[in-house]
Amino acid sequence: MNTANFLSIPASMFPDQEILVSGPARFTYGQMQERVRRLANALRARGVGRGSSVAVLATNSNHYLECYYATASAGATFVPLNYRAKTNELAYMIGRAEPRVLFFAERYRELLDRLSPELPKDMERIGFEAGSPSIEDLVAAGSPEGEDAEVEEGDTSVLMYTSGTTSLPKGVMLTFGHFTTYVVGTVEMADGEPRGVQLLCVPLYHIAGATNIMTSVWAGRKLVLLPQFEAGEWIDAVAREGVTHAFVVPTMLKQILDHPSFSREKMASLQNVSYGGAPMPFPVIRRALEAFPASCGFVNAFGQTETTSTLTVLGPEDHRLSGDPAADEAVLRRLHSIGRPLPDVEVEVRDDAGRSLPPGEVGEIMVRTARIMKGYAGSVEGGAQLEPDGFLHTRDLGYLDEDGYVFLVGRKDDMIIRGGENIAPAEVEATIQSHPAVDEVAVFGLPSVEWGQVVAAAVVLRPGVGATADEIVEHCRTRLSSFKKPEVVRIVPELPRNPLGKILRKDLRDSFAGG
Amino acid sequence: MSNTLGKRYVCEGCGTEALCNKAGAGSIQCCGAEMKLKEAKPLPSSD
Repeated sequence: MNTANFLSIPASMFPDQEILVSGPARFTYGQMQERVRRLANALRARGVGRGSSVAVLATNSNHYLECYYATASAGATFVPLNYRAKTNELAYMIGRAEPRVLFFAERYRELLDRLSPELPKDMERIGFEAGSPSIEDLVAAGSPEGEDAEVEEGDTSVLMYTSGTTSLPKGVMLTFGHFTTYVVGTVEMADGEPRGVQLLCVPLYHIAGATNIMTSVWAGRKLVLLPQFEAGEWIDAVAREGVTHAFVVPTMLKQILDHPSFSREKMASLQNVSYGGAPMPFPVIRRALEAFPASCGFVNAFGQTETTSTLTVLGPEDHRLSGDPAADEAVLRRLHSIGRPLPDVEVEVRDDAGRSLPPGEVGEIMVRTARIMKGYAGSVEGGAQLEPDGFLHTRDLGYLDEDGYVFLVGRKDDMIIRGGENIAPAEVEATIQSHPAVDEVAVFGLPSVEWGQVVAAAVVLRPGVGATADEIVEHCRTRLSSFKKPEVVRIVPELPRNPLGKILRKDLRDSFAGG
Repeated sequence: MSNTLGKRYVCEGCGTEALCNKAGAGSIQCCGAEMKLKEAKPLPSSD
């Protein structure tokens, strides 16, 4: 179905239900739908329809959602752009997507003016807050009548550029069919009853942001948007709006816990906090379990853009500590896991020869689901690394336990090979992390004439606590096989990360290799 | 069995799925048989 129906169907039934809060603005289904319908008609008048695209360069707002639903309603492809991308990456993404219309927030006007010579000539730029025309001019000009366009299940609904850590962004093509499968398969449609309040602070150019708006609006869960994450504002929003559900990336959770205004009382309304986007450091989730109210469940949601979001989940019951040491030991061990596959996902761990591996053995995590992307835009071979049996190479290394829980050990491309021995960075990181002075750590391989690669570690210390690089090495020497201990350790002020909190190991490698 | 607002119904014959956006007393049929209720499998998460 057309994903614009995720708004238009509930809006036709419950027009007076409040569904969106964005800054001081609040919208019912009916108000939101009317703005979307008018915007869709204004876009159609500009030639937007099946086969064309509309891009957005902005932080989160009601305008962002209006653009998504209006684009879908017109049957076109939505291109959410990473506002933290480097200038050359931005020019690349816009140039490849060739949108007919680019919506932008005022703060990016100057950047776009600078990029002008490299942008498609027939692309119209429309401002969110100002300019002529602005998005408000389009909403005012468009007719409030009409229907959502008929689309094919295989039409691309969202062209989402992945936040690549090693190469130029890749445009993942996700179809109306993919989102329909995910949304109607995991939530029931709104029924007019309160379904809670979702706080969304991750960027909407990220798959978790995109699927969150679709599931919330379809299910009748009020959506509270933060333009960007800021820990103090997040805490205030939870208390002010009575937020019941939220999604955060690990770095956000840590900042929330560290913020001076955090208190258990302010978190009282929360029922469910899910996290994903990057591996969760164990000390952070451990701390969160103690600091948040016991009524708040935690969920680790692991997925990829290429698989239309979530593949596996570690649910609230897997996070619950009972106080019984024997039972808690199993829970604590499982907290290192990304959980079990969703009902529409199959997971296998395979070796390099494609053989399925038994529990406990490390290999590449392979997945099969109806939600695997159509391909990468502009890629000759389609891009998705699919086996003939339909399993996708995730490039993640890991293993299963006896109960089918999946454990990650790192990215395939991050595996360190020292003198023929494979070393998973995650194992070394966990060991260094267990040193009481260590706050954060990243482990990666450095080129070595003698060994091929050697293990290197960038370590961030806790504030006010001292440790030397030699002490870190010594800590590892007694806890790891000798070939796994780091040979180059540097204490650094912070780790380089992409906007989702993934550590940029390539930047670390370059910086360490450069002296 | 009457149909229910917001629920999906699936045809066991051809696989067609239908979504009910206004409930009534009737039933939905496809391929000569009543379509079966298909429930979402909720994620234990924010969704």
